[in-house]
Amino acid sequence: MIFREVEDRDLIAKARRGQVDAYNVLLSRWEKRVFNYLLRLVGHREDAFDLSQDVFLKAYQNLRKLDDPAKFPGWLFRIAHNEAYSLLRKNRPEGELAVEPKTGVSTARMYPMELSLTVERALEQLSADQREAVLLKVYQGFKFEEMAEILSCPVSTVKSRLYTALDLLKETLAPVNMGGAE
Amino acid sequence: MSCSSVDLKAYVYGEDAGPIEEHLRSCQSCREELERLRVNHTALMALEQVETPQRIAYISDKVFEPRWWQAIWRSGPAMGFASAALLAAAIFAHAFTRPATVINQPGAVNTAEIERQVNTRVDAAVTKAVSEAEARQAAMFAKNLDVVEKRFADKQQADMANVEQVVRYYEQQRSRLLVAANDARGGGQ
Repeated sequence: MIFREVEDRDLIAKARRGQVDAYNVLLSRWEKRVFNYLLRLVGHREDAFDLSQDVFLKAYQNLRKLDDPAKFPGWLFRIAHNEAYSLLRKNRPEGELAVEPKTGVSTARMYPMELSLTVERALEQLSADQREAVLLKVYQGFKFEEMAEILSCPVSTVKSRLYTALDLLKETLAPVNMGGAE
Repeated sequence: MSCSSVDLKAYVYGEDAGPIEEHLRSCQSCREELERLRVNHTALMALEQVETPQRIAYISDKVFEPRWWQAIWRSGPAMGFASAALLAAAIFAHAFTRPATVINQPGAVNTAEIERQVNTRVDAAVTKAVSEAEARQAAMFAKNLDVVEKRFADKQQADMANVEQVVRYYEQQRSRLLVAANDARGGGQ
């Protein structure tokens, strides 16, 4: 992780000096994480890909505005967050993602693919804010302070959303946690 | 349930949760809650990470190459050159289009104007030439007149001299005759 940070910083410095190849390497390192984050947020593969494209283009265009290269991950995900919510607001002006009807989680033994789909459905049952908190913390490993910067809200709000989401997920995935998972 | 003073979720996810280890050793319910949170986290991590449907386009890809007008727009020196070229074009356009906006039929009016000017100049030149010729003729006439008058005066003077000579001759002849006559009369007495 330390090596990666150092290398990211080096790549960012080179990209800021106009070395496009360095930015391409940086992009290839982060594209899967950004794409998965966007995919779980917007729930649509094509939209997530288009948004990923926009995110990396905007990041390149604004790379000189990044004060501290060490903050690149949070800065990148803030761009991704803004892009995703622009799309969500356009598609759903009421500002709230549709919540899929709750589906019971079978207690039968699950294969990894089934378990993945179960988790996916459990995430979809969360509100958009709760789901994003989980995505940033559980899957991207950001600190509370970084999440607060990405989401433009206080740390207390971040913790509230995350903890509520984790309680809901624990409840939804309880059958799995009780022995369904392999 | 866990104790409300202990932030187990922060602890599970690597945040600073304070001195929690000692509490866990003495609190069965918190240990069980911590275990549930870890199992839940393990289940969450089963979510498959999806590959991108295709590679995200690199900045160096053809699709991001600026169009020719974008390249010019982003280039300072080129923009300066383009501005100068546009300004020059505007000046030329203004210079060529301005007479057309003032005069409705520029071709006809220009020809008439030119014709008028040419006629004026020709008239002036002809008048000047005629006057010069007249002056030359007058001078020649005056000169000839002087010559003729001088000749006439000389001839007149010569004629007068001849007349006086003739008159003197005849007076001498008359005097001689008178003398002869007187002599004749005096001898006959």
